[in-house]
Amino acid sequence: MKRSYVIKRVLYALFIFVVVLTLNFFIPRLGVGDPAERYYPPKGAMSDIEYEIIKQFTREQYGFDVSTFQQYIRYVQGLFRFDLGTSLRSGSPKVVELIGKRLPWTLVLSVTTLLISLVIGLSFGTLAAWKRGRWQDSVLLNASTISVALPGFFIALMMSFYLGFELELFPAYTNPNMVADFDWSKEAIMVVLNNAALPIMSMALGGIVGYSQSTRNSVIAVTNEDFVITARAKGLSETTVLYKHVLRNALLPLTTSIGMSVSGLIGGAIIIEQVFNWQGMGTLFLEANSTNDYPLMMGIMLFLSAFAILANLVTELFYVVLDPRVTVGEKR
Amino acid sequence: MPRARGITIACLVLLTGAALLQTGCQKTEYLRRTDSTNTLYVGVVESSFPVAFMPWLSRDGIAPTIASMLYSTLFSYDDETGGFLPGLARDWCYVDAQGAPIVTESGGIDYARVETEGVKVLRNPQTGKNERYLTVRIELDPHARWSDGHPVTAEDVYYTFDIARNNYLSNHAGALAWTADLLHLYSNTGQLQLQGVFTYNHGAADLGYPIAEAERDLVVYVHVRGVLGAVTSLFTTILILPHHLWEPVVSRQNQLNSRSPDAHMQHLYQNPVGSGPYVLDAAASGPSQIVLRRNELYHQTREDSSPLYTVETLRLVLYQEINVAIYAVMQGHIDMLSAGLSPNYVKLFEGRDDLFLSIAEGVFTQTLVFNVNPVASEQTPLRRLLSDARVRRAIALAIDTDMLIRLVANGAATRMSAGLIAESLTDFCNPSADILHGEHAARLEEANDLLDQVAPQRDAQGYRLLEGERVTFNVLGHPGEMELVAFLEIQLQKIGIKIRYQAKGNSPETTHLWTSRFDMTLHGVIFSLANVDIMLNAHFVALGRTSNYGRLIEPELAAAIEEMRSTLNLHRKFALLYDLQPVIAGLFYKVPLYTPQIISIARTDRYTGYEVVPGEVVFNSTNLQRIQRVESPGDAEPSADDGAVSRCEPGERQ
Repeated sequence: MKRSYVIKRVLYALFIFVVVLTLNFFIPRLGVGDPAERYYPPKGAMSDIEYEIIKQFTREQYGFDVSTFQQYIRYVQGLFRFDLGTSLRSGSPKVVELIGKRLPWTLVLSVTTLLISLVIGLSFGTLAAWKRGRWQDSVLLNASTISVALPGFFIALMMSFYLGFELELFPAYTNPNMVADFDWSKEAIMVVLNNAALPIMSMALGGIVGYSQSTRNSVIAVTNEDFVITARAKGLSETTVLYKHVLRNALLPLTTSIGMSVSGLIGGAIIIEQVFNWQGMGTLFLEANSTNDYPLMMGIMLFLSAFAILANLVTELFYVVLDPRVTVGEKR
Repeated sequence: MPRARGITIACLVLLTGAALLQTGCQKTEYLRRTDSTNTLYVGVVESSFPVAFMPWLSRDGIAPTIASMLYSTLFSYDDETGGFLPGLARDWCYVDAQGAPIVTESGGIDYARVETEGVKVLRNPQTGKNERYLTVRIELDPHARWSDGHPVTAEDVYYTFDIARNNYLSNHAGALAWTADLLHLYSNTGQLQLQGVFTYNHGAADLGYPIAEAERDLVVYVHVRGVLGAVTSLFTTILILPHHLWEPVVSRQNQLNSRSPDAHMQHLYQNPVGSGPYVLDAAASGPSQIVLRRNELYHQTREDSSPLYTVETLRLVLYQEINVAIYAVMQGHIDMLSAGLSPNYVKLFEGRDDLFLSIAEGVFTQTLVFNVNPVASEQTPLRRLLSDARVRRAIALAIDTDMLIRLVANGAATRMSAGLIAESLTDFCNPSADILHGEHAARLEEANDLLDQVAPQRDAQGYRLLEGERVTFNVLGHPGEMELVAFLEIQLQKIGIKIRYQAKGNSPETTHLWTSRFDMTLHGVIFSLANVDIMLNAHFVALGRTSNYGRLIEPELAAAIEEMRSTLNLHRKFALLYDLQPVIAGLFYKVPLYTPQIISIARTDRYTGYEVVPGEVVFNSTNLQRIQRVESPGDAEPSADDGAVSRCEPGERQ
């Protein structure tokens, strides 16, 4: 991998992050008039003097007592201290602390879902491509159509109602004590897995179908390449052709879609988390949204953006490792 | 890739799937089903539970309900009688200049004498004007205790009221609003300019207010501006804080609602010591569950000294999706839901013998509000039309509320008078304000006649035209109100007016309402004797950041409301309130659509004895005092008396 390529990608990622950071800061402040207005409580029966005092306090509390540029500088300085601000909720917790508490629980769902989707999706996709036109392929195509037609929250609700409430095969929603009682013991881990089963299955369904479809298309495309025909002409077994020549090359385009999945790992489970009461980043974002907790919303958005930019950067660099021919943006 | 590696991957897939199924399929035991203790499982549909329990900061969602269980107010308001029920305080009265109670022979407030003997005058140092005020004597219940065992004293009340008024120690806007009529004034620099709360240790003797030595910890005197609203918010809204815990912590550097509380204050936020019927079990509570245990030191008991609240433990379980929560009740994972439900769900519960369906009289009325006086930059010819009372009257006449109740609210709603005071307040509801009734066809005819005077021209589709433009208005609403707007659209089509749904969004006040950027909006209003002092002013008089979204300016109405607010004669106040209703109705500014009933459910296999409480969901303090635990799981079948009630109207019990 060329060092100049790496430096370019890193600088580009940093540039994107600064743009996102700036937009994230300025967009909520674009409205005309007093930017602190949305934070003022209703005047109610307060006298004008009392209300002016409250407004001044509010401006100071949220840092609106200085110019917008000074606020931006403060915001950026805070980021260097990993300070994303203070939430408006009771107790005024730090945004970073709230994210830190919820992030691991989202990762439990997302990473497990990604791994399961990937392993099963690659296997199904390869099988469907290899058995192109036969029943395995038809099953995959139909499953894709159904998966696209049914929204994720509907699948989650149906799973919760039938597998959870009616058949009681899985917990219909997360055990309220799960987070508080978690202590890394074997029992606690089993409780987490037990409660994560339905959310993971709900999320994995779409992922499996998606990866299967991508793998199938990619494998079919590679199967028609000259080097595959050559390999067969050399008399190699079908299994060797599949694993050694077809699959290895077919996986390359999949790296992009896996990278995109990784970048959406944290923010992609909002509705599923809500249906199953899973206390992760998705529900944190919904909480922030429903209570107009702008500092928390801004913090989450910035964190998600930063994670997505980082994931994309890693994907791009990883792509070069996988395929040395890739020289994006470089002169040949 | 060698064949062996492929087999390894396949095995991995199978193992992963098997592990997931194995761990997931373990039989889940829902605690409630096997819990033989006196524990009520309550489902709460919220995005999150509060993490701090400072009562003044508990304003959203379930937080105020929890705060009211952990802390107490001086009194509670009795909507039926308009009187005050004992809380931390057991008695109150107005007093004259010498501190003598102004009461009748039977001990009730003598309002005729209050105006002649109770009214005093002082100079307001902030405004420089003279203020008329009344003195109120409050007597605390000597049995009241904080949950740490300390007695509740007059100093706790002084501390709470004082800090509510002190901007430098508490910049909490809500507290400031609730105590706005308390004449206890601080300057901008945090200096006490005018004292309005008096105890044995805080100057009662200086003003000649008598407090016997034996009751030095029990008596508080306060100076208030109004006769009803002022004491109502002081008595029933402000949760009293324990001064022995808070006073050492709250300072100029560490404000009560500081955004960066220090460790000590944070500890108080998270480990509340209150005087309410329940205490927080902080160790058992978490982000998805809050456990409240009965406060064994709670001062209010039954006549036989047994606890007033029959439920020992409340386990509040968080659900973020209403459908999941409803199924959780139906499947017996929890005993009840704290949330009100849409009438659309009622059919789901029909035939369920194990459910108590509470359909209680509603408290808020859905109204259609017109933007009658937009700011200059938001003026349009069509909006100017809405400033014409004839147009508003025509629209009000064209709305068929019976149809809305039948089709939009599925029958689970009642009509509201155009005077916006509920019929159930029989002593105050003025029937002459109910001007929007009668046969709908005749009303439509009248409405069309009125509009023909203003915009007689119509287009090919029958819609009226103004300056060549179709008369079209947008109605701000939430997605859940789209159906209501759709029916209004059909109804107003009959008078040639086109209306469309417009999403309110997340912060409608700042984006549309306070900035005049709307034509009409749907708005729930509640007017009761407890809130008319504040709310009538906010809805019909005060401009800017209030509920007078359409910026109505009616000097005569404003004067009448101000007189109602400021009179210190309660009988006069009620008479004015009665007279205000036809005036409000005749403005056709906030047109009532319907008052939705409050629908909620509870299971009857573990607890019985539920009562439908007007204005409340089934999870309320009345039921927490009434319901009884079914002895054993074998008693789970409801008895004949329980009635397998699928629908219970107000007044019915199960």
